[in-house]
Amino acid sequence: MLSPEETRVVLFTLGVAALATLLILPPGVAAGLLLARYRGPGKGLVETLLSLPLVLPPTAVGILLLSALARRGPLGSWLAARGIEIVFTWKAVLIATAVMSFPLLVRSARTAFEEVDPRLVGLARTLGCGPTAAFLRVTLPLAWRGVLAGTVLAFSRALGEFGATVMIAGNIPGRTQTLALAIFHDNQIGRDDRALVLAGVTVGLAFAALWTTEWITRRRARRTGA
Amino acid sequence: MIEIDLEVPLARFTLRVATRLGGGVTAVMGPSGAGKTTLLEALAGLRRGARGRIVLEGETLLDTPGRLARPPEKRRVGYVPQDAGLFPHLTALANVRFGARGAEARVESATSTLELRGLLERYPASLSGGEKQRVALARALASDPRLLLLDEPLAALDVGLRERILPYLVRIRDEWRVPCLYVTHNVGEALALAGHVLLLRDGRVEGEGAPLDLLSSPVLSREAEAGIENLLRGVVLSHDAEGGVTRVRVDEGFELSIGLAADRALGGGVTLAVRAEDVLVSTEEVRGLSARNVYPARIAGLQRTGVDVTLRCALEGAGPVLLARVTPAAVRSLGLEAGCPVWLAMKSHSVRLV
Repeated sequence: MLSPEETRVVLFTLGVAALATLLILPPGVAAGLLLARYRGPGKGLVETLLSLPLVLPPTAVGILLLSALARRGPLGSWLAARGIEIVFTWKAVLIATAVMSFPLLVRSARTAFEEVDPRLVGLARTLGCGPTAAFLRVTLPLAWRGVLAGTVLAFSRALGEFGATVMIAGNIPGRTQTLALAIFHDNQIGRDDRALVLAGVTVGLAFAALWTTEWITRRRARRTGA
Repeated sequence: MIEIDLEVPLARFTLRVATRLGGGVTAVMGPSGAGKTTLLEALAGLRRGARGRIVLEGETLLDTPGRLARPPEKRRVGYVPQDAGLFPHLTALANVRFGARGAEARVESATSTLELRGLLERYPASLSGGEKQRVALARALASDPRLLLLDEPLAALDVGLRERILPYLVRIRDEWRVPCLYVTHNVGEALALAGHVLLLRDGRVEGEGAPLDLLSSPVLSREAEAGIENLLRGVVLSHDAEGGVTRVRVDEGFELSIGLAADRALGGGVTLAVRAEDVLVSTEEVRGLSARNVYPARIAGLQRTGVDVTLRCALEGAGPVLLARVTPAAVRSLGLEAGCPVWLAMKSHSVRLV
């Protein structure tokens, strides 16, 4: 069984991951839609920049974030002047997980939107829908499976984020320690048995999230016969 | 009434169309890649590159010199693409309702015009090609369009299905009276539906006019021969079960015998089709022939359509023109020419109910 501290770590991890996912959902979906529809100069560059966190070592992203958000950094000093402390707080965990999960959401959303036939959107327009109504009534209902899958993927990635988090949030029990950090910490102090228990929890959470998505999208597919 | 003066730059050429179309059905014809679909998309407002002017019933939809371009949702133009373009996540009924803005009466009459009653709860994935086209037509009608754009609605269907959809198009033309641009490769369809033909080639208007006058156009001739058909509307007068025939009074003012169709109600409207090659032509009065339908007529014109010749024959006394397709050899040996009196004969079984 989990100790009270471990339970807190699980809840903290779930909360931060959920919040990070919610935070990136609107900009992630918007970016996915823009990348799917926009054809013009600079598209390749934007795509590459957005995907960069996927392939960079998370610690590299972490150190970049740290230098920007540290109290002497360009963003950090501006925030500090307004009394907002980021580094080594739970907000740093949130930012690190959000930044690392964002590209996964954007990529999945982009693929989902690219699969929606743009002519259907045009038809919705001829049937009286403005651009927003066409998006809500046609594009989104046709792409929501992919968007949901991307959201769950981003959430699962957020649950497991380690490298960037440890750089800007540290590994402070009770303050910034997430599951991934706690596993590392337990292993470092020779408590492999607890590390294994926590690893089991992460497997359970990720499995539940992915399986739920699979189940929802399958059920929907059967109904429309699509 | 629609005024079009359009330019749409395309990869191979610039589509240029300047014309003025009245009500009724205008068939847009021409070889593949002539710009037919582009023209429809530009009218619907789905082509960003379109320049020029479009005025539909006094309302300006596009006026690039005047910096006006109404977006598609403000044009009230119903568009039915070749593959129907149904929304796959919605039932047939939800598709029809999509653009109706809650006008249930319109939804109701559109679904009944296209006889969708049994299909309404089904999703597009489980509909056949012809059913999809009917749902798409109903969806366009229910949105209360001032102009209908139909892009080869029958092209994807096999011949049997075509004949079943065609009467729906005739109903839309005659009962809904929405002006319509109808893209087709099929001369038979154009003759059956359209009062006017716009012939496009390489992005230009190659010809324009009554369908019959364009039959000999080189752009059409290769495709023209197949499917030239006479389409007639009428009402059922009587059934003769023993004689095996049903009498129909055709709207243009003559009567026809067709194979017994006892399931059709007396006084009910029907659409009949006769292939041009099934109309026999004689220069002498026909006697002792088994064909039930024989009419005196006069040749109003001859047109070469591919290998064969299509005769336009005006029935004596009545208005209608029937098309008969004969070989050049028959024209020569019978001495057929414009003004010749002839007798036309059709077997009851050559006249099909569609």
